[in-house]
Amino acid sequence: MKSILKSLFLITAAIFSIVAGAQEVQPMLGQTAPSFTLKAIDGKTYSLEQLRGKYVVIHFAATWCPFCNAEAPYLQELSKNYRDKGVEVFIVDVKEDKAIVEKSLARFNFSFPVLLDEDGAVSTKYAPDGVQPDLARHEVPLASNLIIDKEGKIRFYSLLNTTSFDAKLTKLKEKLDSLLNSK
Amino acid sequence: MIMMNWSIIIAPVFLLMGDKKLVPADILKITVPEIVVSAGERAVIKMEVEIKKGYHIQANKVKDGLLIPTTVKIDEDKNITTGRQEFPPAKKFKLEGTDDFLDVFDGVFEITIPIKTVAKTPKGEHILDAKFHYQACDNRTCLFPKSIGFSISIKII
Repeated sequence: MKSILKSLFLITAAIFSIVAGAQEVQPMLGQTAPSFTLKAIDGKTYSLEQLRGKYVVIHFAATWCPFCNAEAPYLQELSKNYRDKGVEVFIVDVKEDKAIVEKSLARFNFSFPVLLDEDGAVSTKYAPDGVQPDLARHEVPLASNLIIDKEGKIRFYSLLNTTSFDAKLTKLKEKLDSLLNSK
Repeated sequence: MIMMNWSIIIAPVFLLMGDKKLVPADILKITVPEIVVSAGERAVIKMEVEIKKGYHIQANKVKDGLLIPTTVKIDEDKNITTGRQEFPPAKKFKLEGTDDFLDVFDGVFEITIPIKTVAKTPKGEHILDAKFHYQACDNRTCLFPKSIGFSISIKII
């Protein structure tokens, strides 16, 4: 009997570990989002501190990034649908010149600011410790999405997963709805 | 055209873009056999590109103008000119969650480039400098576009 119970326990533990492993563990949750002040292609300057009291969605992108471009129309839709709910959407473009970004992203007709992280310093600050250690740190957050809450804490951080790429931002919207409904 | 049986594994000479930790050689390896050809004759460069498992690079032709196509640029010698480059057919990579497919290369593939030598080409070894430009992604991130330099050895007999 004892050995049967032990076997059952081990099988249950194995199933739990497989399920837990299959779920994407999000990094930096609950941490204060690294501060930044960046210029946008509209010429204005935006800082994260000024956005306290609002939910902020950030997408790290580059104009040549196929996943970022696939997501772009859905980000625009998200911005349009959630702006009145106190949600601000931003793209942080990593290590590209303003002229290239301005020209390349014109086709998306974004109604929200596209910030220029020209030296990659902000992207580097958002690279979770230990994730993709072989990469330059500014490369790690590319194509990822974050939700930062009203107090400046990270509440959602999805790194790219090409095998279950969430271009339509389904999971991000679920989390955003949950945050908005719990206030 | 005579091709030697051994290959030269081209080490990346320099990196043009991006301050990186992951060196290009970690993502891809270019192997170019030495070409042996008589002056005045034609030959074909057959360069083998091996992409690290789990990574893909954009193909030489991309449907979206914002993407970075793979290119090979060769500095021609006054006696040796290159012709139309032939890339393999691209593979389709599905962008999950969308209806889009990317044209990509992965694994091991070959690019062929015809060369033409003039009759007065001096005998001996000629080195053509070349650059391979690409943009790679794996399942976790997309790497910044990079160029690696390599050399093509052509022996004129």
